Amino acid sequence: MSLSIYNARLLDPASGLDETGAILIEDGAIKSVTPGAASAHEGAKSALDAGGLCLAPGLIDLRVKTGEPGDEQKETLATASRAAVAGGVTSLVVMPDTKPVVDDVALVRFISDRAKASAQARIYPAGALTTGLKGDAMAEIGLMADAGAVLFTNGDTPVSNPSIMKRAMTYAASRGAIVMSRPDDTALKGSGVMNAGAFAARKGLAGIAKEAEWIGAARDLMLAEATGCTLILDQVSTLRTLEMIADSRDRGASVFSTIAAHSLFFNELDVGDYLTYCKVNPPFRDEDTRQSMITALKAGWIDAVVSAHDPQPPEEKRLPFGEASFGAAGLETTLSALLSFHHDGPLSLLEVLAPITSKPADMIGLPQGRLSEGTPADLILFDPNKPWLCERENLRSRSTNSPFDGRRLQGIVLKTFVGGEQVFER
Amino acid sequence: MSKAAIHYSFDHEHLLGIDGLHPLDLTHILDLANDYAEATRSGKRADPVLSGKTVVNLFFENSTRTMSSFEIAARRLGADVVSMPVAQSSVKKGETLIDTAMTLNAMKPDVLVVRHSASGGAKLLSRKVDCAVINAGDGTHEHPTQGLLDTLTIRRNKGRVEGLKVVICGDIVHSRVARSTTLALHLLGAEVHLCAPRTLMPSGTETWGAASATSDFDAALEGADVVMMLRLQLERMDGAYLPSRREYFRYFGLTAERLALAREDAIVMHPGPMNRGIEIESAIADGERSVITEQVEMGVAVREAVLHLLAGGRS
Repeated sequence: MSLSIYNARLLDPASGLDETGAILIEDGAIKSVTPGAASAHEGAKSALDAGGLCLAPGLIDLRVKTGEPGDEQKETLATASRAAVAGGVTSLVVMPDTKPVVDDVALVRFISDRAKASAQARIYPAGALTTGLKGDAMAEIGLMADAGAVLFTNGDTPVSNPSIMKRAMTYAASRGAIVMSRPDDTALKGSGVMNAGAFAARKGLAGIAKEAEWIGAARDLMLAEATGCTLILDQVSTLRTLEMIADSRDRGASVFSTIAAHSLFFNELDVGDYLTYCKVNPPFRDEDTRQSMITALKAGWIDAVVSAHDPQPPEEKRLPFGEASFGAAGLETTLSALLSFHHDGPLSLLEVLAPITSKPADMIGLPQGRLSEGTPADLILFDPNKPWLCERENLRSRSTNSPFDGRRLQGIVLKTFVGGEQVFER
Repeated sequence: MSKAAIHYSFDHEHLLGIDGLHPLDLTHILDLANDYAEATRSGKRADPVLSGKTVVNLFFENSTRTMSSFEIAARRLGADVVSMPVAQSSVKKGETLIDTAMTLNAMKPDVLVVRHSASGGAKLLSRKVDCAVINAGDGTHEHPTQGLLDTLTIRRNKGRVEGLKVVICGDIVHSRVARSTTLALHLLGAEVHLCAPRTLMPSGTETWGAASATSDFDAALEGADVVMMLRLQLERMDGAYLPSRREYFRYFGLTAERLALAREDAIVMHPGPMNRGIEIESAIADGERSVITEQVEMGVAVREAVLHLLAGGRS
């Protein structure tokens, strides 16, 4: 079984390649990358003319929530993967805050087995950092890592006790495990539901102050420095947090940042008249902050962009703003959202792709996310210019709580390959 | 009648907030409300413009005062009124605001008057029902009829709104009254100064039209035409937002001594219910400069006007 895709604009952020050429896939892996080739590889069993469209590594998404196990009415691994491949996401890390919580080996295996049986994309489980995510006792980090958990996190509820956090990070470091943490001082965040500021005050909604993120980030960065643990700060929403990360790096810490794609796209005013699809945590910030984060992405200060996919059914969203659940569906809109900063902003196509392919792959040690010989043939063929209207009725996720509903976007995935197999075509 | 008013018609489907209203809308509502107030004072019966119409009061938060005010207003205009204090009913059993609204909507009321503890509650409901919705207070967002009745009370006592110096003092951050009243007064040209301890003062009050935001009550009172005190929820004192009641009264309580800093003819207002001895001295609340009971009277008149405009055909 071999396939040659030719007449494609090859985009590989890992090597900086941006040139028309061909790629040969054999036995699920990339056999050769041939920039400059004018036609298909000789001897390939089949050939596909890409028509000059972009061929890039599939997206790697470090933060996806599904409802499996326990909340299958929200999303299953199968429905999430269906949405993922339609958005070009070929590898996704699923969060442990399910029912029950993924805090032991059996549940890590359950996720992997269910994914293999039902999902079109590669699914990697994240393990709970503390038992039951309760924040009072560390979970079996080593055993879960051996079973395939790629990172450890307390999900949406950060460990509040710094002593427990420090010990968990110390232990994780000794096992070579990666910890991902939401920088959030939950007491200071309090009952906040949107970005603190004039707009929240005008709408009579409780605000989430940036200080809550800074205090949470400062603690975890200092603990990363002290313990040597590799730390990913999950969904950073302000420039100051990125500056703190840079400072910790200067001190020798192994720390990374992610940002949610929707936080780059929307600002607090998009909440408008209490639109609950725009209720996310961290909240959409003010426009100056959003602009500064786009600049930071351009400068390479943000390591990875995630979808922060968090499916919520209507009963969780058709409520007054303060009572509605946080979270937005995002698997199908990450690439298009980022492409807007190529069309209307400062990013090159390679800069769009790096934080969603090679960079997250490197962070958690995955071989894919690049166009290089011998790596898994997880690929997307996309048209960077094709306009489309995002309508939630057409989204493939089981829950369609997308803040992009009704938005016109530009750039969309046309074909997705996982392990050389075409799993999606538009 | 002025030329501007000749072509004017009140074309709003709902009354969800002062935000979104035009000064002409306000003037129109206040003029009509004033007519109703005068009619009631002179013992005249109002025309039954809501005859055959059904008004449902849907109160997810307890409020005897506001609910009765709407009820009386609707009855004076001849409407059938159903008042549902849902704070104790099915909503507690997990029925959502939307489900309740859909159920009521199926019974085809003409007006839903809603109070809900969540900001945006009335807006959410208005998206799901076919009838007119009046926001009778949504969380810490708006309470438009209160803003209107405050404005009418001021206009009646001062003969105008434009150019007046109004001081609103108290728990601004949690007050929907402060938002609606500030917006309304600003639209009609008053100069509104907000006063609160910093822990109870939100940011960005200039976007509501406030001229200043301060925690120096004495300085704010200088030359004031109107002093409006807000109710302080007792649970917000005692250490959470403020050290103590007596410390609050010391710096933010309205006393005779302090009132002397305002203009001699300044009036004193309070949306009620009052905490006597905490935000306002009894002697002031009951004194000759207090227009607090007139506010209650204007509340009914304003609600008659709003119900008339939304459900009673065009005036």
